[in-house]
Amino acid sequence: MAAVQVSEAEKVYIMHGVRDDLRLDGRGCEDYRHMEIETDVVSNTDGSAKISLGHTDVLVGVKAEIGKPRAMVPDEGYLEFFVDCSANATPEFEGRGGEELGVELSNTLYKVFNNRHSVDLRSLCICPGENCWVLYVDVLLLQCDGNLFDAISIAIKAALFNTRIPKVHISEDEEGVKEIELSDDPYDCMRLNVENVPCIVTLCKVGHRHVVDATLQEKACSVASLLISVTHRGTVTCVRKMGGGSLDPESIFEMTEAGKRVGKALHAPLMELLQKEESLGKKRQKVGFLG
Amino acid sequence: MLKSKTFVKKTRAGGVLKIVREHYLRDDIWCGSEVCKECKDEAPVLQEDACIESNLCSYPHYLIPDTNVLLHQIDILEHTLIRNVIILQTVLQEVRHRSAPVYKRIKDAIHEKEKHFYTFTNEHHRETFIEREPGESANDRNDRAIRVAAKWYADHLTKNTNGGSLKVVLLTDDRANKEKAEQYGLTVYRCEEYIKSLIGNPELVDRLALKPDDQNEIIGSKLLFPEHLPLSRIQSGIKNGGLLQGTFHANRDNYLEGTVFINREGEDINEVLLQGLQNLNRAVHQDVVAVELFPKERWVAPSSVVLQDDSPNDEDAEEDETENKLKGVPPDSSVLKPTGRVVGVIKRNWRPYCGMLSQSMIKEATRHLFTPADRRIPRIRIETRQAANLAGQRIMVAIDGWPKNSRYPNGHFVKNLGTAGDKETETEVLLLEHDVPHLPFSPAVLSFLPKMPWSITEEDMKVRADLRHLCVCSVDPPGCTDIDDALHCRELENGNLEVGVHIADVSHFIRPGNALDQEAASRGTTVYLCGKRIDMVPELLSSNLCSLRSNVERLAFSCIWEMNHNAEIIKTRFTKSVINSKASLTYAEAQMKIDDTTMNDDITKSLRGLNRLAKILKGRRTEKGALTLSSPEVRFHIDSETHDPIDLQTKELKETNSMVEEFMLLANISVAQKIYDEFSECALLRKHPSPPPSNYDILIKAAKSKDLDIHTDSAKALADSLNNATVRNFPYFNTLLRILATRCMMQAVYFCSGMDSDFHHYGLASPIYTHFTSPIRRYADIIVHRLLAVAINADSTYPELMDKHKQSSLCNNLNYRHKMAQYAQRASVAFHTQLFFKNKGIINEEGFILFVRKNAIIILIPKFGMEGTVFFENKDKPSPRLKFDSEGPTLEVEEHTFHMFDKVKVTISVDASNIQHQRIRMALIEPVIPGVSVPVPESEPVAKKAKLDC
Repeated sequence: MAAVQVSEAEKVYIMHGVRDDLRLDGRGCEDYRHMEIETDVVSNTDGSAKISLGHTDVLVGVKAEIGKPRAMVPDEGYLEFFVDCSANATPEFEGRGGEELGVELSNTLYKVFNNRHSVDLRSLCICPGENCWVLYVDVLLLQCDGNLFDAISIAIKAALFNTRIPKVHISEDEEGVKEIELSDDPYDCMRLNVENVPCIVTLCKVGHRHVVDATLQEKACSVASLLISVTHRGTVTCVRKMGGGSLDPESIFEMTEAGKRVGKALHAPLMELLQKEESLGKKRQKVGFLG
Repeated sequence: MLKSKTFVKKTRAGGVLKIVREHYLRDDIWCGSEVCKECKDEAPVLQEDACIESNLCSYPHYLIPDTNVLLHQIDILEHTLIRNVIILQTVLQEVRHRSAPVYKRIKDAIHEKEKHFYTFTNEHHRETFIEREPGESANDRNDRAIRVAAKWYADHLTKNTNGGSLKVVLLTDDRANKEKAEQYGLTVYRCEEYIKSLIGNPELVDRLALKPDDQNEIIGSKLLFPEHLPLSRIQSGIKNGGLLQGTFHANRDNYLEGTVFINREGEDINEVLLQGLQNLNRAVHQDVVAVELFPKERWVAPSSVVLQDDSPNDEDAEEDETENKLKGVPPDSSVLKPTGRVVGVIKRNWRPYCGMLSQSMIKEATRHLFTPADRRIPRIRIETRQAANLAGQRIMVAIDGWPKNSRYPNGHFVKNLGTAGDKETETEVLLLEHDVPHLPFSPAVLSFLPKMPWSITEEDMKVRADLRHLCVCSVDPPGCTDIDDALHCRELENGNLEVGVHIADVSHFIRPGNALDQEAASRGTTVYLCGKRIDMVPELLSSNLCSLRSNVERLAFSCIWEMNHNAEIIKTRFTKSVINSKASLTYAEAQMKIDDTTMNDDITKSLRGLNRLAKILKGRRTEKGALTLSSPEVRFHIDSETHDPIDLQTKELKETNSMVEEFMLLANISVAQKIYDEFSECALLRKHPSPPPSNYDILIKAAKSKDLDIHTDSAKALADSLNNATVRNFPYFNTLLRILATRCMMQAVYFCSGMDSDFHHYGLASPIYTHFTSPIRRYADIIVHRLLAVAINADSTYPELMDKHKQSSLCNNLNYRHKMAQYAQRASVAFHTQLFFKNKGIINEEGFILFVRKNAIIILIPKFGMEGTVFFENKDKPSPRLKFDSEGPTLEVEEHTFHMFDKVKVTISVDASNIQHQRIRMALIEPVIPGVSVPVPESEPVAKKAKLDC
C-alpha cells in the first residue's frame, strides 16, 4: 500500500492535532475531504462513475453480461470485482506490485457488496437456474491519496446507480427451448435499486481517537483501523479490522458508533447528488478526465 | 463535433454486447443544388430547372423518396423521366441493409450523370442528425430523420432562392409518416399519387409496384396457400432441426414439382422433393426457403411427367384438375425421395424476369398474366393499360409479392425489350436471363486502356526475352480475332526439340485493382453466342493489342520446354517475351500444310514437329485414363447480309484441333504445378471431381440394353470400356454412349488451392490443372498469369492475390459466370436452330432415342446435333396406352416398346402457333403406331400444325 515516511516529530504533531479535533488540513475528526463525483463517464460500459476524494482518484465501470447462476442460489445473479492498481496511481504498483492490494481490495468489496441485503440480486435473475446477469465491477485506481475503501465504495454505489441493463425477454418454443431476445430499443433497460447499497467508512485509530477519511500521513501514524460498511439506515453490514495493531473492545464500540453516524450522513447527500445529475439528462456538460 | 452512437447486440454465443461507435458531425456537407450560393459545392448535381411536369407540382422540385418507396418503386426511379432526386443517407443505408440488388441499382442510378441523383449524407450533417428518443422505434427514428432532412432542404432552398419557387417533395407511402410530414409543413405525396399526376407519361403508371393494400381488391378472399411462418419460428426451427433450410429449385419440366437443396454440412438429407402447389407454397426458383419433412409414409418419387402451366386464364380455382393428375400417378416404391413442404421463405431471390404477356380474355381488362421465358418461374399477374401494345413483345417484369390468396404472384411491368422472335430482342433476353453483363464498357473502364498508337517500349524489351526471330504461328478456328495462343517448335543443336507455347500477355495491360480489372473480374469470361461475342475485355485489347496476330510484335507470356523426340520434358522455362507471329492459320489451313508433302517451309516444319509430339502426348494421356467425351456441337453458316443461319452442320474435329489442345493442356499443367509449388495456399487451380457412382446408372443401364458392360470404377476403366463399346451395324452407338457419359460428369470448377485438398482433374486424368492459355477470354487465366509472373519475379504482387478467401470468392464468381455463359451459349444455339428450321419448313430426319420418360421420349438428331421431345400424352384427345418401366428404361406405347438408342424417324418443324415460346416440334413418323405417329408429310414449305401438342 502506498505509504509515506513520517518523522517522529510530525507524528507527534498529527496525533496532538487529532486529540484536539483539528487535523492537518483543518478538518474535524469525522469530516471527509472535498469529494467530486461524475457518472456515465465511460460510454462503453453499462454504468460508470469517477470519484475524486482529496487526491484519491478512482474510476469504476460496471459491465453486465449474461452468465449462469451459482448452483446454491439459482434465482440470483451475482457481482464480480476486479481492482486494477495501475502504476499511474503510484510507482509502487508497477509490474505486479499492485496485485496483492488489488486482491485484498476486491475480496473485501465482494464481502461487502455481493449479498442480497446490499444489492437486489434477485432482480439480476433472467431465468432461474439457467441465465442471470453477472455484473463485472471493474475498479481502476488512478491516484492514491489514502482512504481507498471509502472512495471505491462510493464510486461503486454511484456506478451501480448509473447502470442500465438492457431488457431481455425469454421466448420459449414448442420444444421448450428457451431463447433470450433482446429489446430493440436502447432506452428500454432495467435500473438497479441502490437504496440498500452500503458505503464503507474506514476509521483510523490515531492516538486515543479515531479519524475518518485519513490522509496518507495520518494513516502512517495509525497502527490499526476499522472498516465498517453502513447502509443508509445505519445498518452495519460488514466490519473488518485492518492493520497490525490491536484495538480494545471499548474503542471498537466507539468506532462502530462513529462509523454508523458518519455513514448514515454520507448516503443522503450522495443520493441527492446522483439524482440531481441524472435529472439534467442530455443537457449535462460532461467533465470527464480533463476536468 | 463528436457524437457516439450506442446500441446493444446479441452475440452468437448468446451474450449481450454493448457497442459504441464514434459518429462525427460536420458542417461542410453541401446540399448539391445549382441554385445554392451558400454551399461551396464545385459540381452541383441537382439542376436549377428541375422540371417534371405534374398536375400536383407545377413548380420545379426535387424528390425525396423514403426507404419503402425506394425499395419498391426502384423501377420508376430508374426511368429517364425521373430526375433530380435526393437520396438521403438514412434511406440508402436502410436499403443496403434490406436489399442488395436494389442497393446496387440505386447506386448505378446515382452514378449516372443524366439522372441528377444526389446522395445527401444527412446522418453526418450537423443540422440533420437526430438521436433516437426514448420509446421511439428504429423505423420511427429513420422516418423522423427523413422528415428533418426534407425540412432542412425546404428551408435551405427557400433561403437561398430568396423565397423562389424551388421546392422539395417528399414521397412516402406510409400514412402516419405522411401525416406527420404534413404537420411539419412539408410537401408530401404518396408515390402513386405523384406518378399518376405526371403529364405525358402514362406508361410510367404500369411500373408502379402493387402494394399489399391494393392486392386485396384484385383477388377474392379464398386462401390458396398456407401462411408462411414468421422468421423467428423458422430460425428456431432450423436450430433445433425441425426445419431444413435450402435453396429452392423449380423443376423445368413440371411446374408442380421442385427440389430444395439443403446446403448445411453434416445433414444426411441433402435434397427434399416438393410436389403440389400447396407444398411449394409460393416458393419461386432460387429462393432460400425453410422446409418441413413429411413422415416417411408420405414420401413420393419424382414424377417423370412433363407438365406445363398453360391454362389460359387466371382463375384461381381451376387448378384442382391438374393437381389430381399429378396425384394420379402411382407411386413407385423403389425410388422414394425425402418429401416435404415449404413452411416459410427466408430470402427471396427475385430479379426482373423476361417473358411475354398472355393477354386476358376480356379486352378492356388491365390485369394480365405474364409468362416468363424461364419455365421455372411461375406466371406473374401484372396490371397494365398498354396490353395491346405489348402483345408480341418481349417484356421485363418484376415480382412485387405473392399473397396467400393469389394463385400467381403479383408484379409490375419494367420495360419493353422489343418484338419477340427478333434476333436482337431474343439475344438481349437470353443475355438478361443468364445474367451475362453485356452493357458497353463504361468510360471509367475504358480510361485504363493503353493510349493509341501503342508500341513496345525499350523498358519492355529490357525485361523480356526477345523471341521475335522464332517461327511462331497461331492456329485457330476461322474468323477468330482474339488469338490468345501461338506455338513454335524447332530443333536444338543437341538434337532435342524446343517447343514454345506463347500466350497473350493480358496481365501486362490489365493492372490489378483498377476499373478495367474489376470489370473483367466481374464478367469472368467472354461469352460466344451465334454471330455475337460479348467481350470480357474491351475490343482494343481483345482483338488488337493482346491478340497474337501475324506479322506484328506482341507481348507474350511464354512457356518453353526442351523435349526429346519421345515428347519427354527435359526442361521447362517460363518467361515474359516479345514475339512476332509469322502466320495466323485456321485449323484447316494448318492441316493442309501438314498433309501437303510438297511444302517444306519453316512454318510447316514447325507444325509437323508439333503434330508429331502432340500425338505422342495424346497417346500417353489416353493411356493414363483421360476421357474422350462427346457432345454434338453445331456450327451455323450465317448469311452475311441478314445474319440468318442458312445452313447447319456439326463441328468436325481435325488433327490440328487436337494438336493445339494437347499443347495447351501441357502448358496448363506445367503452369499449375509451378504456381502450386510457389504458392501452395493461394494458387488458382481447376479441378474436375469424379462423379458419384450413382451418376453412371443411366449409362450402365443403357449399355446393358445392348449387352455391353461399362466399368466406372476409374476414369481409365471408363475410357477403356467406352472404347470397346461398339455395336455392329450401329456406328453412331459409341458416340451416343459418349454423349450419355458426358451427361454423367460433374462440372469442372475453379478453386483456390488453400481452400481445398482435392485437386484431381478427372476428365483429363491429371493430378493438377489450371487455366493459363486464354487470358483474353477468361479471367481465371489472368490471375494465373499474375501468379506465375510473381513466381518468376517478372511482376510485383498485391495483397488480394495472396488472400485465399478473396480468391475463393473470386472463384465462386468465375464458376457462376462460366456456367451462365455456357447456358447462354446453348440457348443461343437453340434459338438459331429454331430460326433455321423456320426458314426450312418441315424436315424429316432420322434420330435416336436418348432418354425415355414416363410420357415422352427424347430424341437426338445427329445431323443437327439437336434434341427434341416427342410427347405421347395430350389434353385434347385420349392418350394412348402407356406403360413405363424404369428398369430398362423402356416405354410401351400401345403395341410398340421404345428402348434407349432406338432409331426413329421424326418430322421437325417450328411451332410458331404459340408465340410465347416458339419451339422445335418433333412428331413421330417411324415406327408407325396408329393414333400416335403422323403420316410422312410432304416437304411443304409452309409450317404445318403438327397434331401432337407439346
